Amino acid sequence: MAAELVGTEVAAQTVEIAIKSQLGMKALGAGMAVGLTGIGAGIAEMAIGSAAVGATAENKDVFGLVLILTVIPETIVIFGLVVALVLWFV
Amino acid sequence: MLTPKKMSRLLIVASKDQLAPITRALYRSRLFHIEDYVVDGREGYDGFVIGKPLEGASEASENLIKVRSIANIFAISADAIEPAGRQRQADLKSVIERELASIGNEVEGLTARRSLLEASIKENEQRISEITPFVEIPIDLSLYSGYERFTVIAGHVTKNVTIMEPAEFRIVKGKTSHFVVAVVPNANRSEVERQLAEAGFAAVQIPAETGMPQARIDDYKAKIAHAQAEIESINLNLDAIRQKHTNFLVACEEVLKSDVEQAEAPLRFATTDQTFVAEGWVPADSVGGITESIMKATGNKAFVTELPIGAHDIVPVEYNNPSFAKPSQFFMDIYSRPKYTEIDPTLMLSIIFPIFFGLILGDIGYGLILLVLCLALRKYIKGEEGEYFLTIIRNASISSIFFGVLNSEFLGFPMPWWPPFAFSRHLAAEGGGHGPLIPELLIMSVWIGILHITLGRVLGMVNHARQDHGDHRIKAVLANAGWLSVMWGVLLLIWSAIAMPLMPDLTWTPLVVSIGGLPMGVPGINLTMIIGGIMILAGILFIARDSVLEVIELPTIISHVLSYARIVAVGLSSVAIAMVVNYIAIGMLIEPQLTNLTIFGVVIIIAGIVVFLLGHALNTALGILGGGLHSIRLHYVEFFTKFYKGGGLKYNPFGLKRRFTED
Repeated sequence: MAAELVGTEVAAQTVEIAIKSQLGMKALGAGMAVGLTGIGAGIAEMAIGSAAVGATAENKDVFGLVLILTVIPETIVIFGLVVALVLWFV
Repeated sequence: MLTPKKMSRLLIVASKDQLAPITRALYRSRLFHIEDYVVDGREGYDGFVIGKPLEGASEASENLIKVRSIANIFAISADAIEPAGRQRQADLKSVIERELASIGNEVEGLTARRSLLEASIKENEQRISEITPFVEIPIDLSLYSGYERFTVIAGHVTKNVTIMEPAEFRIVKGKTSHFVVAVVPNANRSEVERQLAEAGFAAVQIPAETGMPQARIDDYKAKIAHAQAEIESINLNLDAIRQKHTNFLVACEEVLKSDVEQAEAPLRFATTDQTFVAEGWVPADSVGGITESIMKATGNKAFVTELPIGAHDIVPVEYNNPSFAKPSQFFMDIYSRPKYTEIDPTLMLSIIFPIFFGLILGDIGYGLILLVLCLALRKYIKGEEGEYFLTIIRNASISSIFFGVLNSEFLGFPMPWWPPFAFSRHLAAEGGGHGPLIPELLIMSVWIGILHITLGRVLGMVNHARQDHGDHRIKAVLANAGWLSVMWGVLLLIWSAIAMPLMPDLTWTPLVVSIGGLPMGVPGINLTMIIGGIMILAGILFIARDSVLEVIELPTIISHVLSYARIVAVGLSSVAIAMVVNYIAIGMLIEPQLTNLTIFGVVIIIAGIVVFLLGHALNTALGILGGGLHSIRLHYVEFFTKFYKGGGLKYNPFGLKRRFTED
């Protein structure tokens, strides 16, 4: 009888731990989604950005064009953010 | 409205003696965009040559250069000066003849004297630095030179050294290096130099001076001080001249510039011995006016006619927007001016940009801060572009306030009306109700994307129909329709497979093929899925018919639509930052102290207020950057790439907008 009670308690605790760790994994996943995509976008924008500044210094007219080129990789981090939001809230 | 201003091509022919009056009339009207005549053997232009400048051109240019060099010295820029009344051109011209030369000479004389003094200061400083090492050795400097049988060596060594050869040797110890002077018989010179070289010797020049080192330095210092005083007085003098003549100089520049431009205009016309031909563009609605003014100026001795516009003519582009849309031209010019035949999206940009900005920032508090900021900046930022920019920001901030009311947000706090009218963006459910409605918000942004891109593609079809010819025209229009068909086909597929909030639910349509074991519990292929599939296939076919390579771009359909999720994502991040700032400042720092106020508690409260202000200042800056850049990017990258090429020639009419002078 007593053993059975302990068993139920252990089972309940296990479920609780499982739920908590699932939540933790979600948080971890969401964090990684934003963090890693942020790094990725940063690396991609690094080269484009420096080239863009150089090009603008030579010819001011290309500013609009190079601004577009510079922000193209930024979509990666937006996707990361969306994934994180979906993970956490949906 | 959605197209640039209609232009007419104008041809003006007259005899050469009418050159000056016609040029003057054109210049005054500020409407005629001259098409420069190039000798390229065009049909009908045999025997024409480029014209010669009018009389007085070189004199005016000389004066202009003089004025500009003076303005340059004084760093006067006409844009930065508020015109204080206009000066009459005729008065000004007589003053130019009388005074310009004397002002020029005076300024030139003063600046020449100033640079001379500056050079002498440099020279004297150089001498001081040459003598300085010798100060520690109290010997007359003349004793270092003038020997036949001895050599004087001076320089720095990095470590202590003693010379074995017979020589007069002094060493002055320093912190990092030591200064040595050695007077050696010529015979021993190379040996001494070798020993010094081992100690890391770097030679210094022996100053050609007479007198004790310190006395010489003092003498030079006095000379420098004297020169500096004189420079100071010259600067004061120049400043006084500047104060006195600023208005005169900017007015001079304006008059002379207009003289030079008019005098040099014939360089852009085609001429023969007796006649000249000017070609150019004017807005279609001003043809009558400009013709009349030319006729009036010449006494009907000119021939003005409108030419047909050829398919390959590069027509200058002037925007044709209602006044509320004009500020958005600023964003258009950053990207590229539309071509003459192209749809001008300025109007759409002026409406949609503030909406996107508001959706992203969407906070009453930040909207108000921004509004106050741009109203205050109006005093400091001048010029057309600056004003345009501020107007754009003003509209965006008003839109932010509007969406802030819908979102019930004030610096991240909820407003009294709760739940919000729009989908909640509050990360925590405050005052009951729900947390953020992420699925609804994301799907809303995707809808915005779908509609925006559909609009772009439709405009693309219109543009191709207007611009292209023959076979390519149909293909290009159909390719755009194909892109649309693929996008909506994909949507149909998704709608028929999964039911989502805010999206049509097509899962009920009759099953055609039933397949078990599909993901997400999809029972099989239904009718709308087949329609969607056909739309995608047909779309790809149309795209490939225009250009096969384009097919590899197909994934952008998904990525471009999903890119609009940034509207929600960036907005939510700004809400999150605001709430974190509020929590740290109020929840963690201020509130706990209020229950039991102590002196230490007051310090913590002040810290809390600082955190609050700094945090929200940072978030405002991020909000402007995020809201502005992302909204404009959605236009530039996702919207414009569907239909807009740009690259139009700016309409640049012959003439000058006078600010300081009048006829």
